[in-house]
Amino acid sequence: MATEQDSGDTLRDSSRSGPYVSAVRWMESLSETQFAYFLLSPALLILLVIALYPLIQTFGYSLYADQLTGSSRLGQFVGLENYVALFTGARDFALPSAFLPGFSSSFPFVTGIYSSALMVTLLFTAVSVLFETLLGFVQALVLDQDFRGRRWVRVAIIIPWAVPIVIQGMIWYLMFQPNIGFLVGSQGDPAFLNYLGLSYTPLRNTADSLFLIIVGDVWKTTAFMALLILAGLQSIDRSLYDVARVSGASNWQQFKMITFPLILPTVLVAMLFRTIGAMRVYGIIETMAGCTTVPSLSCLVVTTFNNSMYATSATVAFVTAGLIGIVVSVYIFKFADAEGGF
Amino acid sequence: MATENEQQSGIGKQGDADIKRGPLERWVGAAIKNPKRAYRAMFYVATVFFLVTTLFPFYWLLVLALTPNNLISDMGLLPKGFNPEVFITMFERVPFHLYMFNSFVLGLSTTIIVLLLASLAGYVFGRLRFPGRSALMLGILAISYFPPAAFFLPLFELFTGGTDIVLGPVTVSSPDLFNTPAPMVLPFSALFMPLSIFILTTFYGQIPDGLEDAARVEGTTRLGALFRVIIPLSAPGVATAGVLTFISVYNEFFFSFLMNNGEASSWAPIVAGILKYQGQFDTPYNLMAAASIVGVLPVAILVIVAQERIVSGLTAGALKE
Amino acid sequence: MGDVTLEHVTKRYEDVTAVDDMNLAINDGEFICLVGPSGCGKSTTMEMIAGLTMPTEGEVFIGGREVTNLPPKDRGIAMVFQNIALFPHMDVYDNISFGLRLRKYDKEEIDRRVERASDIVQLEGMLDRMPDEMSGGQRQRVAIARAIVRNPEVFLMDEPLANLDAKLRVHMRTELQRLHKELDTTIIYVTHDQAEAMTMSDRIAVIDSGQLQQIDPPLVCYNEPANLFVAGFIGSPSMNFVDGEVTEAGFHGKNVEVDFDPADVGVSPGDDVTLGVRPEDVYTEDEQAGIAHPTKRIEATTDVLEPMGDEIFVYLLLSEDATTSMDDASEGMSDQLLMSVDPDSSITEDQDVSVVLDRAKLHLFDTETGEAIQHGIATTTTTSTDSSTPAESDD
Repeated sequence: MATEQDSGDTLRDSSRSGPYVSAVRWMESLSETQFAYFLLSPALLILLVIALYPLIQTFGYSLYADQLTGSSRLGQFVGLENYVALFTGARDFALPSAFLPGFSSSFPFVTGIYSSALMVTLLFTAVSVLFETLLGFVQALVLDQDFRGRRWVRVAIIIPWAVPIVIQGMIWYLMFQPNIGFLVGSQGDPAFLNYLGLSYTPLRNTADSLFLIIVGDVWKTTAFMALLILAGLQSIDRSLYDVARVSGASNWQQFKMITFPLILPTVLVAMLFRTIGAMRVYGIIETMAGCTTVPSLSCLVVTTFNNSMYATSATVAFVTAGLIGIVVSVYIFKFADAEGGF
Repeated sequence: MATENEQQSGIGKQGDADIKRGPLERWVGAAIKNPKRAYRAMFYVATVFFLVTTLFPFYWLLVLALTPNNLISDMGLLPKGFNPEVFITMFERVPFHLYMFNSFVLGLSTTIIVLLLASLAGYVFGRLRFPGRSALMLGILAISYFPPAAFFLPLFELFTGGTDIVLGPVTVSSPDLFNTPAPMVLPFSALFMPLSIFILTTFYGQIPDGLEDAARVEGTTRLGALFRVIIPLSAPGVATAGVLTFISVYNEFFFSFLMNNGEASSWAPIVAGILKYQGQFDTPYNLMAAASIVGVLPVAILVIVAQERIVSGLTAGALKE
Repeated sequence: MGDVTLEHVTKRYEDVTAVDDMNLAINDGEFICLVGPSGCGKSTTMEMIAGLTMPTEGEVFIGGREVTNLPPKDRGIAMVFQNIALFPHMDVYDNISFGLRLRKYDKEEIDRRVERASDIVQLEGMLDRMPDEMSGGQRQRVAIARAIVRNPEVFLMDEPLANLDAKLRVHMRTELQRLHKELDTTIIYVTHDQAEAMTMSDRIAVIDSGQLQQIDPPLVCYNEPANLFVAGFIGSPSMNFVDGEVTEAGFHGKNVEVDFDPADVGVSPGDDVTLGVRPEDVYTEDEQAGIAHPTKRIEATTDVLEPMGDEIFVYLLLSEDATTSMDDASEGMSDQLLMSVDPDSSITEDQDVSVVLDRAKLHLFDTETGEAIQHGIATTTTTSTDSSTPAESDD
């Protein structure tokens, strides 16, 4: 009796036909490796067309001269000349904003830091990541405590992270517009920040704008840092603290000898992610002060593009990618040991 | 100084000393004796500081939005006037609802594409062994390191019909997709997929092999087991990946700004909508503030509803590395 | 028909061969156990029968049909897994009916079958529970019901009892045997527990290093193990092994001698052989009256006693320098013997005793290849006077 029914069972499957069934059968006949690549193919296809192809193409463009007139977008093949021109400063006169700062033989040796796309980007990255790490660490320590309302404090801290970049820019634009708020005043009526040395039109002044943009970026992305560090804090085995307490360690000693070394790898990973993000900075600049006031590398890509300097634009884009690549490699090689140690 | 004196004279009559000292001094004295109280106080100070710094900008938006534009000057901490109509005016001046609708469409379609493709990829990376696995994962990770600017030029050409596509003997130019959702959705999908792949790889990899085997023995195909058993069981992971992708798209600036002409009819998202207010001749600060509030609301609600998912996803995705 | 045949089935992963040229013929309705140590290839073998793993070489037949490359769903099999593998997001009814729903059976048929299956495994009234609300034993019943509801030609069970506690495991053993009687379907059962295999199966397939060592009914495997591996694996505690050499007079080991005519057993003097004897076939002098053909006496000292209730295991040291380490079965085993004695015995620790072995229950293996040469060495030239001569010993 049982066998009759089960041959019916088998029949149900083998008697069906049609394109769907044969497609299913074909899929099931693939080996594990074939199946793996088959399932990956849509994702790989989109990454290939939308990411890999443009990357290679961008590099290709960067090897040609700019063609400012005529119908074709690019001039003749010039090899690495664009890179050479960029790094020797020879291209700077043609750019909407300079790539390199000026150099002089007397103190402070480097001039025009705020008009150099490279320096602006590096300065922005270094300062914002530093503050985001420090504040993020403190936020994480706060969120690691058990207290009533922790859920809501956490929401409050995360929300800036979820704010669209354009609104982030708008918020800080509205905060620092002269005369409308209590932070920035006018010549005759200086306000809080003016006393601290800020000009009366901070969003037209590169140095001031850069400072305010950093404030806006720290406001938004500290939460990202805090969440990663918090995850690291919560993965620390709590019994280690019991051991330390039994051995007579004070709170500070516990932090120094347990929390900090155990959290360091996570902090480094989080810093790596933020560094990558910070080096791409564009949107907040565009919204708050505009690319002519604060020329970051991504800004320079867009402004050169708008001036039809396609090859230069591609070169700057690839230099940005290269700088990020260098940062990533430095992190990986320099800190791989530290991370492996824990 | 004062404390020292008090302590010198206060030996043996602690109660008197406490009464004579001011509240701060008393507190400091107690804190020195009991460091726990000092830590507690530091904790409260830090919490209040963070709450104020993160939330004040939103309050500031509200103050500006409610103040009629001609009164916005030398603002204090309170609105000068009460003008809730601003939330209607903002839609009249700029069709912000259309921009938001576009943002939603872009966000949702990207999320669907990413979840589908990343689910397949996450299944492959999380559950199958095959040659090239780690190299591919590394490659996908590397792509997420590149700045959008490095992809921009060729993509702009591709989507504006400037790229020649060679199909055997025939060469056609790429279709002009500028001012459609495609030039945004496709780059978003490629750029935000790696994070989802890593999140889903983690989640799918944790489903016991036995469940997948059981489903297949019971009569599903390998793909059937993924959709009937593995994905339903990883629902939290899928939700996390979805929420993060949506927020990322909603937040995105670079392609959102550059891959359209800024008109709501051309699928431009809120980036263009917000910037439209900045470009108005009378600089309507109150409208800018109101639009910013309206624009933040969807993600703020999403964060409140899905905070657990966001936290777990960010940490899983980033720490996986 | 539920007969299963493996022909020259081999599974190789990058650098390891998990299953090596396996030939297996399982009859319809048979309860067969694949047994072996972990990593021996028994689970891989089962996965290839199920279709969860594809063999590198060879062919698999189920019910006379070649299924080597068919997916699991088309093979007419059902499987019960070690970790039970109930879908945690479905209730009991949905779990049991999962396969039927996939095959689009109509509602009444599904209801009827689920009811019958849950009757068989005694799950009445639990159909709307979720798996995490059930005990381990109940979950295992659901898994079995999910398997039987489709009336498969073949049941595959991969260590289904391994995660249950000891008492429940013994209970489920009998349940499974009852189930087999009731359903009369082929059951292929993977386990590393030889006791489970002995008690339940019609035949045991002993597997080691990816190769089939022996496939025979349990008692045949026990009494006539095909090689050293089977002899050592089947039976608990393990068989004693004594390495030695064949001489004109018979077997000569370090502490144990058995005389026989080499020609009768098919060995020649100078061959390296291993003598095997189970603990229950070692007797003290007092008990030797019970056996027809004892060997010569072996002088020994008792070491540790392990009273089990129904018997006592006695570790015997055959020479003074012997160590008691049982860690490495191949080293030092010639110096010690494990003996099972009657619980009433007055034996104590550190006592000098002389023991004899039951010649009818001795096993002789080729030391080199491990193959069995002879089971039971009957008396030929030996006489009772010979056996009463004290055995020569090194000390």
